[in-house]
Amino acid sequence: MSGGQEEELRRLREELRAYGRSLDGPEGAAGGGTMAERVLARILAEQMPVPAAVPRSRLRAVRRWARTRRRSLLASLCGLLTVLALTPPVRAAVTDWFGFHGVEVRHDPSAVPSPGGRVPGCAAPVPLEEASRRAGFTPVVPEMLGPPNAVSVGALPHGRSLVSLCWRDDDGRTIRLDQFPGRLDFSFTKTVREQPQWLDVGGQALWFPRPHVLTFWMIDAEGRRFTREERTAGPTLLWSPTGTVTLRLEGVRSRERALEIATSVTGPSDR
Amino acid sequence: MIARVRAGQPEAYAELVRAHTSIALRAAAALGAGADAEDVVQQAFVKAYCALGRFRDGAAFRPWLLSIVANETRNTVRAAARRTTLAGREAALVGADPVIPESADPAAATLETERRAALLAALEQLSEEHRLVVTYRYLLEMDERETAEALGWPRGTVKSRLNRALRRLRRLLPDVRPGETREGGAPA
Repeated sequence: MSGGQEEELRRLREELRAYGRSLDGPEGAAGGGTMAERVLARILAEQMPVPAAVPRSRLRAVRRWARTRRRSLLASLCGLLTVLALTPPVRAAVTDWFGFHGVEVRHDPSAVPSPGGRVPGCAAPVPLEEASRRAGFTPVVPEMLGPPNAVSVGALPHGRSLVSLCWRDDDGRTIRLDQFPGRLDFSFTKTVREQPQWLDVGGQALWFPRPHVLTFWMIDAEGRRFTREERTAGPTLLWSPTGTVTLRLEGVRSRERALEIATSVTGPSDR
Repeated sequence: MIARVRAGQPEAYAELVRAHTSIALRAAAALGAGADAEDVVQQAFVKAYCALGRFRDGAAFRPWLLSIVANETRNTVRAAARRTTLAGREAALVGADPVIPESADPAAATLETERRAALLAALEQLSEEHRLVVTYRYLLEMDERETAEALGWPRGTVKSRLNRALRRLRRLLPDVRPGETREGGAPA
């Protein structure tokens, strides 16, 4: 083969490597920490068992399991952490724990969720206007619920923000309205295990009657798709009233009341 | 590290995740996950955790993980029935990641973009096997042994397929390259 061809192939290999590196994006290795946190949160939230090496026989596995009580103890600690991991302050603690190389677990009976789960409140609340400024969009406020008791801003990947509005209902439970920049991509419903009910709130809305973990697809202002995964403690209503923001209402048990709240959303709130 | 995870220390898994996130994201992007790359990788890490019991002692973690990422990418793309089109991938490439600094000569920049698009188009035309071997070996910069492990092929097969794939790729590409001037181009 000629030297020219060899040279061309060498350059082609270099080009391919350069293309590969260009896929890394600006976050690069910095994204590893966030990813690690998210993965751990999932492992805890879904109570995944410790992945012990697959033993040669079941009998041996059982014997080994019995022998290593430490392992099962840790597994139950993971279970406890799962419960703790559900509330935002503890989520922060889990993050801390993740950053160091040790397990720190405090027994906290109050962290046990009430039957049917609890809607997490708005952590680190900020004034509504501050939330708008930080998130880069004006959250809508359903007239039915009135001014929220607390507003918080969370970060989504790729610099997107999520705004959460929280109210206390008459029974002291939390009603929470999460607002995501972007509209719903309804094709995600093909992938959900439990089919939602389609409701009309002046546009399409989805009612998920039971607690679940839901992954839904969204499209941002630039037409790019992204996904959100949300644990829900109770029935959830999901809809995009304005086409630029998607709302997720949690903590309202009655479908009729959720519908009323949704239809009372008129547009971005006036400050 | 894996022994520590199996011994019930999930925080050791965090180290594995941190160490392999960027290559896993690159793999998902290279295999067509598009905007879903982060979700795909997260899901792959969770699945890898569950499957860690079946991980062979002494094997390399990276190829094993990347085969899970590849699988997950395939599932995502298929489940959503939205194979990223070449146009979409190009748009993502040009839009999300400006490879060319603003200060660069605009003519060279255009050439660079065109060349990248041509490279993607050529990759797209390769057979699945050829595309995979090129992706693992060069886009993901894995060595021959790791590529063989990730694809589950003998090393000889990796070698021969890689050779054929590269030659085919070269034939599919136009001769223009960034840094070279175009010949015979009449000024507009």
